[in-house]
Amino acid sequence: MKRATRRLALLLMGSIAGSGTFGFTKTAEASGQVAIGVTETIASYNPYADSISMGYAIWCQVYGCLGFFDYNKGDYAGMLAERWEVDKADKNIWTFHLKRGVKRQNDGKEFTAEDVVHSINRINTDPQSKQKQNISPIKEAVALDKHTVKIVTKEPTASLLEFLFDRLIISAKDLYDTHGARDVDRKYPWGWGPYKLKEIVIGQRIVLEKDATHPDAKPQNPDTLIFNIMREPEQRVTALLNNEIQIAQFIPPHLGERVKGGSNVALVPASSVEIMFLAMSPKYKPWDNTKLRQAVCHAIDRDLIITNVLKSQADRLDGPIGPGQYGYDAEYTKKNLTVTYDPAKARELVKASGYNGEPIYLDTPVGRYINDKEVTEAMIPMLNAVGINARLRTPEWATLWADVQRGKTPFYYMGRGSVVDPSVALSQYFETGGSPRIGISDPQIDKALATERVTFDPAERKKALNLAFKAIEDAAPACFMWRHHMLYGRSKSIEYKPNPGGRIFGTEIVVKQ
Amino acid sequence: MPRYLLGRIIATIPVVVLITVLVFLLIHAAPGDPADLLLSEEASAADIAEARHRWGLDQPIYIQYGRFLANMASGDMGISFRYADPVISLIGERLPATIELAIASMLIALIVGIPLGVWAGAKPNSWADNLGSVVGFFGISMPSFWLGIMLILIVSGYFNWLPSSGRSTYGVATGYDTGFYIVQSLLSGNMKAVWDGIKHIIMPAVALGTAMMGLIMRVTRSSVLEIMSEDFVRTARAKGLGENRVLWRHVLRNALVPVITVVGLELGTLLSGSIIIETVFAWPGSGSLLISAIQSRDYPLITGTVLTYTIAFVVINFAIDFLYALIDPRIRFGK
Repeated sequence: MKRATRRLALLLMGSIAGSGTFGFTKTAEASGQVAIGVTETIASYNPYADSISMGYAIWCQVYGCLGFFDYNKGDYAGMLAERWEVDKADKNIWTFHLKRGVKRQNDGKEFTAEDVVHSINRINTDPQSKQKQNISPIKEAVALDKHTVKIVTKEPTASLLEFLFDRLIISAKDLYDTHGARDVDRKYPWGWGPYKLKEIVIGQRIVLEKDATHPDAKPQNPDTLIFNIMREPEQRVTALLNNEIQIAQFIPPHLGERVKGGSNVALVPASSVEIMFLAMSPKYKPWDNTKLRQAVCHAIDRDLIITNVLKSQADRLDGPIGPGQYGYDAEYTKKNLTVTYDPAKARELVKASGYNGEPIYLDTPVGRYINDKEVTEAMIPMLNAVGINARLRTPEWATLWADVQRGKTPFYYMGRGSVVDPSVALSQYFETGGSPRIGISDPQIDKALATERVTFDPAERKKALNLAFKAIEDAAPACFMWRHHMLYGRSKSIEYKPNPGGRIFGTEIVVKQ
Repeated sequence: MPRYLLGRIIATIPVVVLITVLVFLLIHAAPGDPADLLLSEEASAADIAEARHRWGLDQPIYIQYGRFLANMASGDMGISFRYADPVISLIGERLPATIELAIASMLIALIVGIPLGVWAGAKPNSWADNLGSVVGFFGISMPSFWLGIMLILIVSGYFNWLPSSGRSTYGVATGYDTGFYIVQSLLSGNMKAVWDGIKHIIMPAVALGTAMMGLIMRVTRSSVLEIMSEDFVRTARAKGLGENRVLWRHVLRNALVPVITVVGLELGTLLSGSIIIETVFAWPGSGSLLISAIQSRDYPLITGTVLTYTIAFVVINFAIDFLYALIDPRIRFGK
């Protein structure tokens, strides 16, 4: 027994000596390996069982997607789809022409239209699927030939690409038919993306390995991508400074200075496509009064909050969207959608609304969005100053979100993420029957949104979208606040520019030699 | 003895059933709905209604509970809403990480706490006693999550001695299907993986075990103080035994009964305390699983995990009762 213990101790000491140092440092250059500290985790091997941004990004680079939104060009671009068009006579019919000769990881089987149809069907029928909303406009999908898919929508939907691109994960029909759902996801996660799935330890990490034969995978892209789940911001920053990870996602502004102080790391801001707003439900008094809602929008000094509370890490929103989002028109926005901070006008509007000074509760999540509680705390005195007797409430997120979903929260601060083409989000919040979240019913807004949905010419559609923005701002069921900058920490051993969608792709990372 | 054992097992059944009723009622009474939280914000009211129907949430609560009990009778804890996998296998995958962490914390607490307590108790009012008391009070009064964050900032952030989070480094070891990373690495002779596991477990184990260490130190000290004045200690000294032999062989053995009680109680606390520490250190155990289940209102997973913790508490209490008999032959069961 004693001898065994002594041997064990010697082995341990040997391994410590062998590891060279007690320090814990890994470098990207040495291994072609890039580790990323992320806040979310995928919950399953099933690519359809999650509906989170990181999940879409991971599965998209493993299995493949039809396309994505190119933030540099401000338009959609193909991945597995080469081009697409809408039928001129019947706007419900979309035709997607797929890339030819795309070979699958591991066995080289070619990607076909049958795989696209299978993926849509699986999202619809898989009991674990949480992505049905992505195919909700689709009535049917048919493979016209090996490389052409016809998608028929239930009604004309000009924003169909917003539903499908980088969300519709394309998985293999033949592997599914042979092995069944559970085994195909766990044992044969073979796709047409530039990275292969190497390991999933749910709750700890996801590891991808570059498929060097893929046309989009370049030699300078990392050979291995490790997504480490690190929910605590302190943890991500510490790990970044220690070079345990090379990219740290979502660094709160107050930790930005620590990252800036690191000699081998850089703080990289990226604008996001998450729009932050204050919602006021006209179903409840006194928010049934348009003047009072407009008064709120004039009462809040967004620039002051951005500078002092958000440490300048946000861009003010004039209208529902900003630069880089589909339909944004700088000139139109400046002329028609800018709501100024004007407390005198706000006071007049409050007086004209007949508001009797009853207490109004502003509900905010805490810790869900950057400095959410501090931001709303700053809004309360601004509202009080114009005569609105506002008070702050901070319910737990699960409670608040359930109430918002059911239209039970009259006044709240909230964000809406992943808004590239704003059509879906605007319809959901502001169109009659879109959802109970705000519950406004305004014929002008309904008409404007219905028009943009059936306008397929891009230039015309952008005009129609801007008219919808104007109708929404006039009715003021919400005051649009800002888009946060997402702060990323990046090791200087790599080059990486985060995209506003928050999706991290290995093909966008370059390991310096 | 078998009658005693059977009696204890039967007595635990109502406890377990009562716990499931309480957890089931409390979690259903809490605001928030799994479908709202688990589907994306783009999901329509129809998508949410369909998910609620699929998960049986549109049924009255007594039917949901009845179904849960029926499944439990056949060893099935249901399917997690969030992870879309059987609850029992999810817990099975994560529990070893929590057990490994709890054992490491307990070892740290025992290895530091008992000698310090004996030392302090043997020399009351000396500098050793004062030092031991300071260490003991430090351990008891320090919130574990705060200590954890401080360790990350200092040991990992400032000195860069240990990894700040996680349980293992990718590529060091693979195929560890039991989930006991360090133990299995040790058995397979992969010392690089053993060292990797140790480096990852040190900080969470210290953060989790410090409070227990403080308590053990205090209890050992008072127990040793009490035993030192017993007649048999004087007899042992009169026989000419050395002071160390008296202390470590005779006094400590008799002083251990209250210590074991504390260890038993605290082992349960370690399991529940790991819920916070696992979050702080991104430790992929059943504690962090429970947190994510609560945040997403994953009813089957919450109930299953709490039930597992309940059973663990019961088993620990059993084990402690048996340990009493081993340490103190005067204790007999069923009499």
